[in-house]
Amino acid sequence: MNLDSPEPKKGRLLLRSHTSPVQIRVMERRKPPLRIVVPGKVFRPDPLDPSHSFMFHQVEGLMVDDRTSFADLKGVLEHVLKALFGAKTKTRFRPHYFPFTEPSAEVDIACSACRGKGCSTCARKGWLEIMGCGMVHPNVFRAVGYDPRAVQGFAFGMGVERIAMLQHAITDIRLFFENDLRFLEQF
Amino acid sequence: MKVPVEWLKEYVTVRLSPKALAERLTMAGLEVVAIHDADGGPVLDLEITPNRADCLSIIGIAREVAAITGQRPKLPTAVRSSLFSVRSKRQHRTLNTEHRTEVKIRIEDRAGCSRYIGRLIDGVKIGPSPDWMQRRLLACGARPINNVVDITNYVLLESGQPLHAFDFDRLTQGTILVRRAQPKEPITTLDGTSRTLSADMLVIADAKHSVAVAGVMGGLGSEVTLTTRNVLLESALFDPTTVRRTARALGMSSESSYRFERGVDPVGVETASAHAASLIVKLAGGSLRQVLDVGARPPKRTAISLEAARASRWLGIRRSPAEIRTALARLSCHVVSRGTEDILQVSVPSFRRDLAQDVDLYEELARIGGYDRIPSSLPIGPLAGSSPQSEDTERFQQLRSLRCLCAGLGLTEAITWGLVSEADLSRCGYTAAQSVRLANPLSQDHAYLRPSLLMGLLQAVRRNHTQGESGVRLFEVGNVMPSGAREEDSRLGFVISGLWVRDWHAKDVCDFFRLKGLIEAITDRFCRSAARFVEPPGKARDTNPHPTRGATSRTPGQVRGSLCGVEAPRPWADPSQSTSVKLDGCDVGEAGRVYRAITEALDIEQDVWFAELSANALVAAASRSPIAVSAPTVFPPVKRDLSVLLDEGSPYEAVFHAICEIGGNLTSRVELIDRYAGPAIPAGKYSLTFAIEYREATRTLTASEVDALHQRIGQTLTGRFNARLR
Repeated sequence: MNLDSPEPKKGRLLLRSHTSPVQIRVMERRKPPLRIVVPGKVFRPDPLDPSHSFMFHQVEGLMVDDRTSFADLKGVLEHVLKALFGAKTKTRFRPHYFPFTEPSAEVDIACSACRGKGCSTCARKGWLEIMGCGMVHPNVFRAVGYDPRAVQGFAFGMGVERIAMLQHAITDIRLFFENDLRFLEQF
Repeated sequence: MKVPVEWLKEYVTVRLSPKALAERLTMAGLEVVAIHDADGGPVLDLEITPNRADCLSIIGIAREVAAITGQRPKLPTAVRSSLFSVRSKRQHRTLNTEHRTEVKIRIEDRAGCSRYIGRLIDGVKIGPSPDWMQRRLLACGARPINNVVDITNYVLLESGQPLHAFDFDRLTQGTILVRRAQPKEPITTLDGTSRTLSADMLVIADAKHSVAVAGVMGGLGSEVTLTTRNVLLESALFDPTTVRRTARALGMSSESSYRFERGVDPVGVETASAHAASLIVKLAGGSLRQVLDVGARPPKRTAISLEAARASRWLGIRRSPAEIRTALARLSCHVVSRGTEDILQVSVPSFRRDLAQDVDLYEELARIGGYDRIPSSLPIGPLAGSSPQSEDTERFQQLRSLRCLCAGLGLTEAITWGLVSEADLSRCGYTAAQSVRLANPLSQDHAYLRPSLLMGLLQAVRRNHTQGESGVRLFEVGNVMPSGAREEDSRLGFVISGLWVRDWHAKDVCDFFRLKGLIEAITDRFCRSAARFVEPPGKARDTNPHPTRGATSRTPGQVRGSLCGVEAPRPWADPSQSTSVKLDGCDVGEAGRVYRAITEALDIEQDVWFAELSANALVAAASRSPIAVSAPTVFPPVKRDLSVLLDEGSPYEAVFHAICEIGGNLTSRVELIDRYAGPAIPAGKYSLTFAIEYREATRTLTASEVDALHQRIGQTLTGRFNARLR
């Protein structure tokens, strides 16, 4: 079936590689303040192996108003990670690059297997990369028709399977999609 | 990007251990992924993000180390002086006037190459480069070749500016022409590969042929060899997009193309050229005879205006204009305040092409201070003006309670692949032609968007039976792309197979009634509305319904249903034991036994019962019907049984609804208590016995009232279904 031509307005269709388009659609429809969480399936051109899958799930968050700051981003994500991995979870925010946020960061948690000392789980780094985040780039606000001088806020995104793997010491992502009852019934 | 610490120390004082240095760099956004040991000491392996092209050099990293440790980098004089002076006037210098000008350089394509500097050095003696240089090259992963080539690579690694050396005597008429390639123009590159170029690629050519793929790789015909005497050193500024497209189209990538793609420092073109030329003169002899600088001088960039208060609000930390000025100065930015004190005018150095607007500078402020020095805070105050719960949220919560209900009914949630194979499709009676295929599937196993949840759930049943599971009960909520549809649809699918309850009896096997019961439980409890099963059972047929793979014609006798307006076939179901499901008069799904031919093809021995309902229709029905509550009546019921003999063609469903319809409000409960077909009754008939409970909410019913109503029900059944009361 050809989905390309009949509706030129929509153009060619693509399996989404992030849930970020949802952020855009919500911003196009609604005015700030916004606090949304977007879960969903995403697709990537990665062949299946223990740590890669062409399909997995992401959760993204977006908070936009006139005051939400990078400090708030840190506070919220630290809270989220403590809720997920325990109250003693140590986190760090590392500068990174994403075209749609500025500043951008990757968030690591101290490796639970070695408590930050460095082991095979964390590739000797002592830290496990858990999500990407940043302050939404003014260009994004411009694109959805917000006044980039009047609004600010953060966005973050994480892989659901990766978090579950770290939480439950699961070493093969394919287990999530094989639907073996002996696996599923443990949750 | 590999960085020998020993080399780094030439440009910046490093007092930290390699590990501590790696930690500092990582926390400044230059992630050190490994520390190697090489001849000459430790080497840091850095992963540079695409925005930081300026860090693809030893000097670039040294500048960062200096900035984060609060020092000034010890840069070579040439580099230092070119930081802000966008000087470099067009040069055309002949240094040794005894010789006439020999090099001719022309840029035909200014879009692809904005500047080209050629330095002609004659009388060089080719030989090996010095040990210290070879050691550094090896530590960075470059292979030493000869002194001149090594110097170009060395300066590339040091400064980030790609350079190339031609054997000048092998350039026809001493000419350099920067132009687009001719269609199908051939060239043999330095790696010995013959390549065919296309007209959108940029080349360096002499008077006759192309001699290099611009910014990607030199040609074999003009390479510097042991016999080379005169060298033309190229230092140029090529368009990132052109280089990226060319490198990708030719399937090759080099240290040069990698840097050009990301954008090199426009001011570094001249300094790198001068530095490399002086190294050649020093290490390979010869003398610099001519310098030709063709093309545009680097454009002057406008200063970025930065509002201190806004930066503080963005980052959530208070920073005074003075503090901001100090921090940015560490990054070689030139800061002046103009007008009000709060607004700073920031001139960024030429190599920081990534710094274009104020937010880019906010990131630098956060990064140089350290993200860890920014305090964490939680958003305070009410959700000012936040909109009430959105439809999306409500839908999400509804789907979550639907999932919880399914789990409560003894089903386990599955998540199956959203992409299926052509074999999956045709096996289940769908056609590839009606399905959406990916343009570039990773594998044929996952090439089509699923038209139904069936394919994935069948694979899950197979896997579990193979693993010895005697009973499988799964559900999935997910999107499908129905055959012929233009948009995805959200579905609830469930599949049951084998034992319903695993116990020592091993008697309670999944069947149609279990399947139907699940649907009823879901519609009753979730939608508060009774499902109707409308398809009369057809004739049993268990021959293979889909004999040909990918056949486009419909199998005769195939049952068709429709799912909320969209015509959707039910090609997988045995018509003798399948049905459409209606809710409030609208089709909401399909249910039935999967053809044995399909399950057998998957080596599943047990029958598989599958149902698929429109999740949107369920959610809509749930929102339509609020919970209605009335106090239970205290008046007693009157119970009567009703046995009827029916034709095989009269379905229970219709009879049941007829009883409810005639009885109206007075029939508080109608239950089937027996079904019989056998020797005691005529062939082609079967018998149903209902227990009917009559009750009136406000008074006690009299026996005569009940008798009259019971009789009327009996008469209606006789008339409508040709039934006989027993």
